[in-house]
Amino acid sequence: MVGRDFDVRRLPGFGLIAVLTVIMLYLPIVILVVFSFNAEQSQTQWGGFSLRWYEAALNNRQVVDVSLRSLWLALAAAAIATVLATMAALATTRVSRFPGQTMIYALINQPLMVPEIVTGIALLIFVAFLKVQTGYSGMGYLVVAHAAFCIPFAYLPIRARLETMDLTLERAAADLYATPLQTFRYVTLPLLVPGILAGFMLGFVVSLDTVVITEFVKSAGQDTLPTYMLGQLRRVVTPEMNAIATLFLALSLVIVTLFFMISRKRG
Amino acid sequence: MAGPARESHRWKWLLVSPALFVLLLAASGPLVIVLIYSFLSPGNMGGVSWDPSTEAWFRVFWSRDIFEPELVTLNDSHLAIFWRTIWLSFQTTVICAVLGFPTAWFIATRSARTRMVWLFLITIPFWTNLLIRTFAIQEMIRSNGTINTALLWLGVIDEPLEMMFTEFAVLLGMAYVFLPLMVLPLYAAMEKLDFRLVEAGYDLYASRRQVLWHVILPLVKPGFIAGSILVFIPSIGAYVTPRVLGGGKTMMLGNLIALQFGQGRNWPLGAALAMVLLVIVVVALIFYLRVTGSEERARNGRA
Amino acid sequence: MTEQTRHEIEITGVGKVFGQGETAFHALRNINLTIRTGEFFTLLGPSGCGKTTLLRVIAGFEQPTTGSLSINGQSVVGLAPNVRTVNTVFQNYALFPHMSVAENIGFGLKMLGRPRAEVAATTDEMLRLVRMESMAHRKPAELSGGQQQRVALARALAPRPRVLLLDEPLSALDLKLRKDMQSELKRLQIETGITFVFVTHDQEEALTMSDRLAVMNAGQILQLGSPHEIYNAPSERFVADFIGETNFLNLKVTARDGSGATVGLPGGATAQARLAEGISPAPGDTVPAVIRPEQVQLCPPGEGDMDGTVTGAVFFGTDTHVHLTLSDGQPFTVRRQNSADQPEPANGTPFGLRLTPGALQILRG
Repeated sequence: MVGRDFDVRRLPGFGLIAVLTVIMLYLPIVILVVFSFNAEQSQTQWGGFSLRWYEAALNNRQVVDVSLRSLWLALAAAAIATVLATMAALATTRVSRFPGQTMIYALINQPLMVPEIVTGIALLIFVAFLKVQTGYSGMGYLVVAHAAFCIPFAYLPIRARLETMDLTLERAAADLYATPLQTFRYVTLPLLVPGILAGFMLGFVVSLDTVVITEFVKSAGQDTLPTYMLGQLRRVVTPEMNAIATLFLALSLVIVTLFFMISRKRG
Repeated sequence: MAGPARESHRWKWLLVSPALFVLLLAASGPLVIVLIYSFLSPGNMGGVSWDPSTEAWFRVFWSRDIFEPELVTLNDSHLAIFWRTIWLSFQTTVICAVLGFPTAWFIATRSARTRMVWLFLITIPFWTNLLIRTFAIQEMIRSNGTINTALLWLGVIDEPLEMMFTEFAVLLGMAYVFLPLMVLPLYAAMEKLDFRLVEAGYDLYASRRQVLWHVILPLVKPGFIAGSILVFIPSIGAYVTPRVLGGGKTMMLGNLIALQFGQGRNWPLGAALAMVLLVIVVVALIFYLRVTGSEERARNGRA
Repeated sequence: MTEQTRHEIEITGVGKVFGQGETAFHALRNINLTIRTGEFFTLLGPSGCGKTTLLRVIAGFEQPTTGSLSINGQSVVGLAPNVRTVNTVFQNYALFPHMSVAENIGFGLKMLGRPRAEVAATTDEMLRLVRMESMAHRKPAELSGGQQQRVALARALAPRPRVLLLDEPLSALDLKLRKDMQSELKRLQIETGITFVFVTHDQEEALTMSDRLAVMNAGQILQLGSPHEIYNAPSERFVADFIGETNFLNLKVTARDGSGATVGLPGGATAQARLAEGISPAPGDTVPAVIRPEQVQLCPPGEGDMDGTVTGAVFFGTDTHVHLTLSDGQPFTVRRQNSADQPEPANGTPFGLRLTPGALQILRG
């Protein structure tokens, strides 16, 4: 009789739990997506395939408005955060320690540590004060608040990329007569691009996802998609909401796929 | 000319200063204002009046009788919310660990190619809007939602289970939403695991259970600690999930804080509560740094 | 080789200290060294001996803590690497992963602001020189280790540096490839006439490739000379031990003459020995001496300079290492050429040992 090889990696039952966990992760999302295509206004009774809820969503002026606002806010915040995070990463990675460095790390990572609700009410207080003082109540507050919130997320992959970057490459450039600026332009920056892209995408998704900060900072008429949805969830939910959620899911999926492709290219 | 090069730090400060400016403006600075507000008196229509007072901090833990201000009792409703917040966060962390460990292990032991697929599957929910995921759970557990419909159809129950607006709903939602945050660091720790050590365990007569307990768990402990902190901290500060799934009866600390800036109209109390939340988070973080720091020291000491 | 008198690199009293106070680490101590134009010079030593630090000081990546350094007669202390006419072949090649082979090779000239046509022409020339013409548009990741090595060489040679620094460039290659690259490097050095400064811990590599070499340990240069001098006339125990195999004997000086000495061998016979530079032992002193295992022949007992008894033999293919104990108990190894009809010596067999005249060397210390 030939026995099976002894597999040291196997732990009995773990595979089953893993599969169930993944099913549990996806089942609610799949149901949400499936019923966005329901012809009837029910989350449980299937009445045939239809795109009527997508039509309804796209014809809903408010939905289109808040979606577009969410997108451009995320683009602006992620772009600002990525530029600032790249500069900060260059100054704090692969350098000899300097006084104040710990404080810089603490500041950069603060949005990761402090609960969003605390940052949210802090901004509410601050912005309320600024609005009275300046009379300005535009989108600027949201852009800056989102950018600050996105900085640590953009900083992480850029810093990681810098840290794994081979220092000898820049030495080689210097050895081959490149000035520090040329070294940055021809060697450091091109090699940093995947990290910068990953940082931008992380920032973009984080801004898109942010609901608490937006909820407390926004002025009237500045709803983003998440705050709009949060408001709608209290009412009777129609599959129109499923359709909006599905569209956003699709957008996330595209970004994750891009992110994966970029990070795999590194290896 | 020879000698240690004097390094200038000025270029570093120039490069970080724009980021620091934005962070100070929109993250750290406002926190200081919160601290200050917690020592002021509430204004009539929200906001504050600039009278220094420790009343807000007092009110965090105690309440006064409306008619006899001298009569002081512990603020039971606040304490109940504190306790619920910590207890639910703890349970969330445990549930995530119990489900996350086998999942991470299963992924880490796949071949390189399938591993990427599984990791991708775990990462997608992680990148998906938290509100959408909470919404998806709401659709599952509503009185006429998926679970109740299925159970009624199967004949298991005669009338719908009331799951919405319970602690169970909040727990389910948080575990669902934060699970990837446990799996990913656990996976990272397991990926680095030297499987020859596991082989050595079996070679030295350990059973599967013993290998798991004496070899694998100690080796992936850093991943466990990181995952627990990553789940526990957002749970403690959770606002959206308890708001959508818990409603007014099962508030968590985050909702209590928000309430003071809405209907409560007591900004100083809200500010003080926010500081309490911050302190809990900082304590958890210090605990984390302590544990990982001593682990590292122990490891380096032996090396 | 014709004797060159021009000095390419002059290093005077160079020291390098990392850190300060109690944790200070002296990577280099008072290095004095002159490297001649057009020679293949090797820094040889174990890891941590300071050879790579010295190379980095020459390249400009480290500034010396003390001392001075000039290249082609001009002091370069304080100059950045990108203004020194010195190029480096890095240990892990450090090829830019985002550039093609041709872009890598042309990088130095591009940085120097040379016209595009010149960059292209030199790149082609270099590709031919290292026989990589067909790979010009590949990315480094698509090349084998040996090919990457050639590109790294071509890239460093393209700007026509006065000096090429090579930091253990062959250590990542397997044995066969390493042998090929050794002759390739030697060919390139002769064809281009550029001064090569080569760092390695591989004594065989150092002996076969170098015109001259310096043996380093603990931040100091222990001995400087041609491979022949270093191998046959080591000046101290570390050098003799690090390079090749050798027998160490403690012997008593019986007489002195001019440049050598007469020493008493175990068993009573005497032999002529050479002296390491700078020592002058007096008759009666006990001194450390070395003799290489291949400089001794086995003969019937009593017919040689010493006698010994076999304690073991290890077969190496072309030769056999015969381990013996001398009459005074000191261990000794003889390398004997193998031939088909010769039986392996059995343990306990007595032999006489005949020393090749002039092979015995007295060490410093």
